[in-house]
Amino acid sequence: MSTLSTRGLARLFLPNRVIRSSTALALVAFWMATVLTVWLLSPFASLPTPGEVWTALGALWWRHGMGPELFTTMKLILHALALTVAISMALSYATMIAFFRPLVAAVSKLRFLGLTGLVFPFTLVTGGGYSLKVALLTFGMTTFFVTSMAQVVLEIPRVAFDHMRVLGASERRIFWEVVVRGTLDRALDVLRQNAAIGWAMITMVEGISRAEGGIGAMILNQNKHFLLAEVYAILLVILVLGLLMDYGMGVLTDLLCPYGRLERVRR
Amino acid sequence: MTGEVLFSVREVSQKLGGAQILDRVSFDVHDRTRAGQTTGQIIGILGPSGVGKTRLIRIIAALDAPDSGSVVGIQGAPIEPGQVGVVFQDYPLLRHRTVRSNLEVAGIANGLSRAAAQGRAKKLLDLFRLGDRGSYYPAQLSGGQRQRVAIAQQIVCPKRLLLMDEPFSGLDPSALEEVMHLVVEVANMDELNTIGIVTHDIRAAMAVSDTLFMLGRDRTPDGKWLPGARIQETYDLVERGLAWRDDVMELPAFSSLEKEIRQKFKQL
Ligand SMILES: Nc1ncnc2c1ncn2[C@@H]1O[C@H](COP(=O)(O)OP(=O)(O)OP(=O)(O)O)[C@@H](O)[C@H]1O
Ligand SMILES: [Mg+2]
Repeated sequence: MSTLSTRGLARLFLPNRVIRSSTALALVAFWMATVLTVWLLSPFASLPTPGEVWTALGALWWRHGMGPELFTTMKLILHALALTVAISMALSYATMIAFFRPLVAAVSKLRFLGLTGLVFPFTLVTGGGYSLKVALLTFGMTTFFVTSMAQVVLEIPRVAFDHMRVLGASERRIFWEVVVRGTLDRALDVLRQNAAIGWAMITMVEGISRAEGGIGAMILNQNKHFLLAEVYAILLVILVLGLLMDYGMGVLTDLLCPYGRLERVRR
Repeated sequence: MTGEVLFSVREVSQKLGGAQILDRVSFDVHDRTRAGQTTGQIIGILGPSGVGKTRLIRIIAALDAPDSGSVVGIQGAPIEPGQVGVVFQDYPLLRHRTVRSNLEVAGIANGLSRAAAQGRAKKLLDLFRLGDRGSYYPAQLSGGQRQRVAIAQQIVCPKRLLLMDEPFSGLDPSALEEVMHLVVEVANMDELNTIGIVTHDIRAAMAVSDTLFMLGRDRTPDGKWLPGARIQETYDLVERGLAWRDDVMELPAFSSLEKEIRQKFKQL
């Protein structure tokens, strides 16, 4: 922090300033330290201390088989995510065709329903168990994914199509270049946001049949017995995992679509 | 005007949002010939902002259908989308492709083999002084570079007619001169090439064109606009000895015609 001059320090509080990456890192450290301090000094006795959470994490990992549970959940989420991507991309691209537009709009509106009321009909269709969970997660994520992705497709300016048309491209090539390739970076961004929605839904979904385990079921079990340190330990793991996935997908996006980043830099 | 008619815009009308924008716009483009020299055509379409120039381009390029009237090519053949090139006002490019790849895809979309498209792209990058920018993405280009790529992309597979919407706006004097040279060069690549420049930059249009069409609305005696633009005036610059000369801007006849056109322009 000693490298910061007074003027540099002032910059941090001005809107729309570009800062050095080392400064950005220092900022993150500052905020983490602040949060940790507030947590340590917290007057709420029921809130477990960082030490307690750390101990609970160790116990969960070594004695309660957290690793395999984590694997179960990861598998479920990735499975559902793969299905979500396939269904949602197809639906979003379908907005190009007038016939399908009402259908896509309807799917998008289903996100208001939430999952709880859907367990029963979904059980009838899937027969319960693993496929029920995949179906519910896929459904939940698809409604959000389609909402964002269909918007991306709808926002493609008309001139983008006309530009390809005057070049003499066929409608099929125009679809591929403008709709599919031209929005790939945004699709990956949408996917990134929606992976987070999957994590948010996981407790509910895995709670349906806890026997099959998973990290969400684990949380519910600890919660029932007011084992708060354990609950927070699991939340922490979910947070770290989510962040790792998020980071990984960010790297992937930059790798596949370097142009997206170029358009975002502010200078 | 002597040569064969290459393109005709016939009585084109268009209404948008209840307002008449174009009202029976008609003009012909004739083949210009010079002994011993390949001479393409350059027409300038002049008109004030909002008069309907961009709409007219869209109709000529068969992107929009007119309410009535038609646009035809040689011997009255109808025009299909893809037969007329357009350099749009804000130079759209494929954002996910590099400059080189933007040029190549234009070739491949027109049926060139990959190798042929790569060859064309390389040639054009050099011609447009973009050789060192081939691996850049559109987001990394300056305004002028972006414009050159957009023009280059349209002539990977040259069309008989290339329309350019405001190609002279936002350029510094040397870039302006460069684009003007480029326009002449591209037009003269083939006897039957025609470039249509749509602009409100009177001077630049005069300097490169062989024919000027002035698009504008009529006024009532008390100065109110009447809806619907049509071709108000046609200037044959070849007849006036004001075409195909590098020094044209220094001629007294150029200045007096410029003054005349400016005067007319103000009334549109
Ligand atoms: N979709 C539309 N609905 C209604 N009116 C429109 C529409 N598009 C364009 N217009 C009107 O048509 C007129 C001509 O528009 P156009 O874009 O062709 O102008 P322009 O001559 O190219 O102007 P500029 O030089 O500013 O680009 C304008 O007055 C505009 O308001
Ligand atoms: Mg315009």
